[in-house]
Amino acid sequence: MKVSRHWLEKFFDQPLPDASALSDALTFHAFEIDGVEKFARDDILDVKVTPNRGHDCLSHRGIAKELSAILKLPFAHDPFTAAGKDSVFSAAGLQGDAAKTESSPAVSITLEDPTLSPRYIAGYIKGVKVGPSPTWLKRNLESIGQRSINNVVDATNFVMFNTGQPLHAFDAGKLTQKDGKFHIVVRKARAGEKLLALDNKEYELKDSMLVIADGNADVPVGIAGIKGGTPAGITEATTDIIIESANFNSVSVRKTAQALKLRTDASSRFEQGLSPELASQGMHGMFEFVQHLIGGEAAGVFDVYPAPQQPTRVSVSVEKINKVLGTQLTGAEVADVFQRLQFAYIEEGGMFDVAIPAERLDLTIAEDLVEEVGRIIGYEAVPTVPLPIVGTQPEINQNFYTAEHVRKQLTDMGYSEVFTSVFADKGERAVLNKVDSVKPYLRANLTDGLDEALKKNIPNKDLLGLKEIKLFEIGKTWEGGKEEWMVGIVTEKEKAVEEPLSQHAPKETVSQYEDLPLSNAQRFQPFSKYPYIVRDIAMWTPAGTDAESVSKMIQTEAGELCIKVSLFDQFQKGEKTSLAFRLVFQSFEKTLTEIEVNQIMEKVSAKLKEKGFEIR
Amino acid sequence: MAETTPGHIHPISSLIREANRIFGAMGFAFAEGPMIESEWYNFDALNVPKDHPARDMQDTFFIKDEKEMVLRTHTSPVQVRYMETQMKKGIEPPYRIIVPGRAFRNEATDMTHEAEFFQIEGLVVGSDVTLANLKGTLEQFFKALFKGVVEVRFRPSFFPFVEPGVEVDMRLTGPEAPEKLRDKWIEIMGAGMIHPSVLKNAGVDPSKYQGFAFGMGLDRLALLRWGIDDVRHMHSADLRFINQF
Repeated sequence: MKVSRHWLEKFFDQPLPDASALSDALTFHAFEIDGVEKFARDDILDVKVTPNRGHDCLSHRGIAKELSAILKLPFAHDPFTAAGKDSVFSAAGLQGDAAKTESSPAVSITLEDPTLSPRYIAGYIKGVKVGPSPTWLKRNLESIGQRSINNVVDATNFVMFNTGQPLHAFDAGKLTQKDGKFHIVVRKARAGEKLLALDNKEYELKDSMLVIADGNADVPVGIAGIKGGTPAGITEATTDIIIESANFNSVSVRKTAQALKLRTDASSRFEQGLSPELASQGMHGMFEFVQHLIGGEAAGVFDVYPAPQQPTRVSVSVEKINKVLGTQLTGAEVADVFQRLQFAYIEEGGMFDVAIPAERLDLTIAEDLVEEVGRIIGYEAVPTVPLPIVGTQPEINQNFYTAEHVRKQLTDMGYSEVFTSVFADKGERAVLNKVDSVKPYLRANLTDGLDEALKKNIPNKDLLGLKEIKLFEIGKTWEGGKEEWMVGIVTEKEKAVEEPLSQHAPKETVSQYEDLPLSNAQRFQPFSKYPYIVRDIAMWTPAGTDAESVSKMIQTEAGELCIKVSLFDQFQKGEKTSLAFRLVFQSFEKTLTEIEVNQIMEKVSAKLKEKGFEIR
Repeated sequence: MAETTPGHIHPISSLIREANRIFGAMGFAFAEGPMIESEWYNFDALNVPKDHPARDMQDTFFIKDEKEMVLRTHTSPVQVRYMETQMKKGIEPPYRIIVPGRAFRNEATDMTHEAEFFQIEGLVVGSDVTLANLKGTLEQFFKALFKGVVEVRFRPSFFPFVEPGVEVDMRLTGPEAPEKLRDKWIEIMGAGMIHPSVLKNAGVDPSKYQGFAFGMGLDRLALLRWGIDDVRHMHSADLRFINQF
């Protein structure tokens, strides 16, 4: 999620540290930062909010609250505090709590299934003036990659990015009134119902999908929690609006968004599961804009919230925290963390009974609070303690023991180990949903893969300096209704065969794994994708000539295009020794030509002749 | 020149052999489990309920015509399988296991991502196993693996099967460290304290026992260890690659 540093500063009385300090604070105490970009004089942080914090941190308020706790900066302007609420609603000419204004005569709300829409608040505002947004609002939205549309829509978006509560604005003039009353119904769509959404695409709705309907006309005007519809969209002619600040079931929103392939900033928040308490914060946030930004006056707030979220408390002891983290924190240090997070708590004898803020749906068990303490203090406070030494030998895994034993035997015989894909073009069992949809079957044998691997390696024989390609694989196959470890081999001379690995299991019980060599490779050497050229050269040398030094001489003379020099024949005849070398030429940049290689070979021959060797 | 040139084992096999040796000396047993796995072991038992957004993090291969069966998306199902089997045998913790093996994600492949990959999982359960022990264990492992001075640090993260959950970075210092890796923090794995629900799902009493778990990509470890430029070499069956190890 894109977060503006400038926007974050609005929550504090003091300036925030620079973007890199903010990145570090979040990285080591909350979330990874995917990147930091400049936007005019602002810094935009791309914060990777983890799925457990989608409830509260897909908002500037959420990130600011984290920073307040991490950096110990007083959270001076929290839009959620009671003071904030009062000022908002009195500004709107309403009472202090949205729930108390249910008697609004203008809007009635019906929730067909409160498990799918646990809360719906409708705010009726009359006489708004739709127009361009002021510069500060445009700038805020643009800084996080949003497009400014008009003051009303921008205000709803601002509130969402500020508080995490998605809002939607309907043009009340386009909704039907009956006896002077609007009727909003949250219900399942009827099969065949269609909606032209604000993205100008028509969506065909299914009866599993939740919609917002104009109850008096019985037509859908929005896809619940995802996107509004054009039938009640805001235009420059709009004067009266109904603001929706509601709560929708996360699974329902997720499934509908997936089915319609329509993921929006609103749906991605509802998908995480939001506290229905946030809905009133969202409406408060919107009402702050009424007089000075969008004009008009609040004509009523209607709140349907049949089963209010119950406050939760979670207890954790200092002892538990230290026992899990391996730290020696004091009660005072733990208390400090909870204070910085603004968690109300009661402490008694090292036991903290913590009141969980409504939006923190992620905090349900003691371990969750252990994590809060650990991350806010910082994991560098966790010491490095080795596990105690155990006296007993760990149990030997039969399959692994056997696999290792077979690996040793086969490599000794010149076989190299490959891993081929478990996916095949035939087999007993298959996967349902392969992205590339080729080879959906799970292999029933290793031999097909080995045959293919053999074919692929044969052309590289000279490059590899091998006389024969010999391969093996130890892997699972799915055949005869079972998943089984198999070992398969293939060579150029003998076709691929395989057998169950278990046939090589040790006859007697073993008490430890064999001590087998590890790879002694230092660095991987990338290889060229261009073809290579082979040249042989044979010569008579005086008896006792060191083949190794001749090889080195050839290599030096042939230069770096010669990637391999190997002695492939050597015999004695009287006072002379015949040496035969194979040279492999390859470039990383291009396909070498015969001419280039012949020129190099002439140089090599000349050098060898100069040494007095007789080229055969 | 009649003698046989010895063949080469795959670099992943060498890494598994080495990891098993290092962890074996710390008392870890080698454990394994099926690759076609039930959704229960792959997700639910690991505290990833149906319709949880965390399931979106994993692009899963589902098995055709077999209800609720998947190609395991990680080696973590073996955590639950192992603990469950031990408890059924009447063997209470302490447990220490590593689980090296293949796992699968349904995604497009590129230089750093493969649909088939290797992971190594670790699990330690006891009455007083702490996050500090996790740091100690990983530091010991990386020291042995990368030979030299290794530091390990944690950053907060989220995996449904651990609480607290951390991302683990390591840094190699000193002259013995490979130059390309020296003095840089490298993100290496996810880990944390086993979520009490996971212990409970495996039949282990979370009020008596606690522990840590970690999981890392072996392919990535091989890439780092040997400076390999493309993860697709791992399943290429190309001896120009394998015979370098």
